Amino acid sequence: MKINISRQHIYLIAILTFLLVFVLLFSFALLIPKGKEYRKNRVELKKESKELRRYQNFHNEVENRLKELQSENRNIISAFDATFDPYRFQKQHRNYFSALTLSPLSKVSDDDEFIAYEVNTTSEISSPKSFYEFLDAVNKSDWIISVEFPINFKRDGEMIKSSFTMKVFYANNDRNSTTKVTE
Amino acid sequence: MKYSYIKPRQKSAFTAEIQLLVIFFFITLGMLFITYLFLLFKDYNFLSDMDEMATAQSELSVNIEDMKEQITFIEKENLLAQRVYTQNTVLKDSIANLFDLVPQRITLSEAKLLENGLILYGVTPNKDIYNFMLQAPLRSIFHRTYSSFYPAQNGWLRFVSTNYIDEEINFSQEIDSEN
Repeated sequence: MKINISRQHIYLIAILTFLLVFVLLFSFALLIPKGKEYRKNRVELKKESKELRRYQNFHNEVENRLKELQSENRNIISAFDATFDPYRFQKQHRNYFSALTLSPLSKVSDDDEFIAYEVNTTSEISSPKSFYEFLDAVNKSDWIISVEFPINFKRDGEMIKSSFTMKVFYANNDRNSTTKVTE
Repeated sequence: MKYSYIKPRQKSAFTAEIQLLVIFFFITLGMLFITYLFLLFKDYNFLSDMDEMATAQSELSVNIEDMKEQITFIEKENLLAQRVYTQNTVLKDSIANLFDLVPQRITLSEAKLLENGLILYGVTPNKDIYNFMLQAPLRSIFHRTYSSFYPAQNGWLRFVSTNYIDEEINFSQEIDSEN
């Protein structure tokens, strides 16, 4: 039996075969692996996006907590950052004393977080009540000050001479962390 | 010499069927290429999105760490401030209690408040008043109490009362050690 195939049909079959092979090769070699990669990346991106959202929420929570703390402790924070001014201190507390003298500040401790300075104080009070009022006022002052031992009271006529040491605390601003909120 | 009256038509390999086929395949290939380009673009997009996310995440992470440090520091500041305030209040109460402790008949001339002790100088009409009205309460507060007397000009007695507390952890020391 003789198969009679025209030249035109042979062209047709050749082109068809070539294109089919090309389509198959293209699909299996490039398109399908790329599609798989796309699907994998999409899943991964979704996961990353979820993780980022979680991070963002946590970041917001921490930021809110920080802002809350900063507003709750505004006075304390500013007191730790304020530089001790002996003249202002004397002006603010002279009502409790007949005389008040402060020695120059001397550094007593310096660590990563806080620096403490000491200032020796001599004063004259008319009654112990003035000293109690002074201790109450120190807690409301612009600085963090603790009154330290030893405290001496000595009668001098109608007055009481007192001498004591005060410790002024500062935040160490040279510490590694920053003090402002990073937006 | 002519064998036919009709003009021979030009024959081409690109017959109508082949042209149709080629168009069909071109459309198919076009769609495949477009799909491939779309995937390439998406992949690039994913990668750049991932990079952005990683950067944003590391920035957030740094910020969180920074804020946590700030929170810890503010808490420490607050703790120290509260301790200082409490120390001052306790000191005020201690001094008030000390002066309340001294009876009317005994006059103090000097008082030294130490970290772990108290030294009082004053005058008393006699030893009994001192012993019952001042030394007794002092003994209940301090572990060691020493008294010495010497006569004053008006017949009263000058006294020096030295009182110590043993092994008492001082509040200010506690604060220092925490810092």
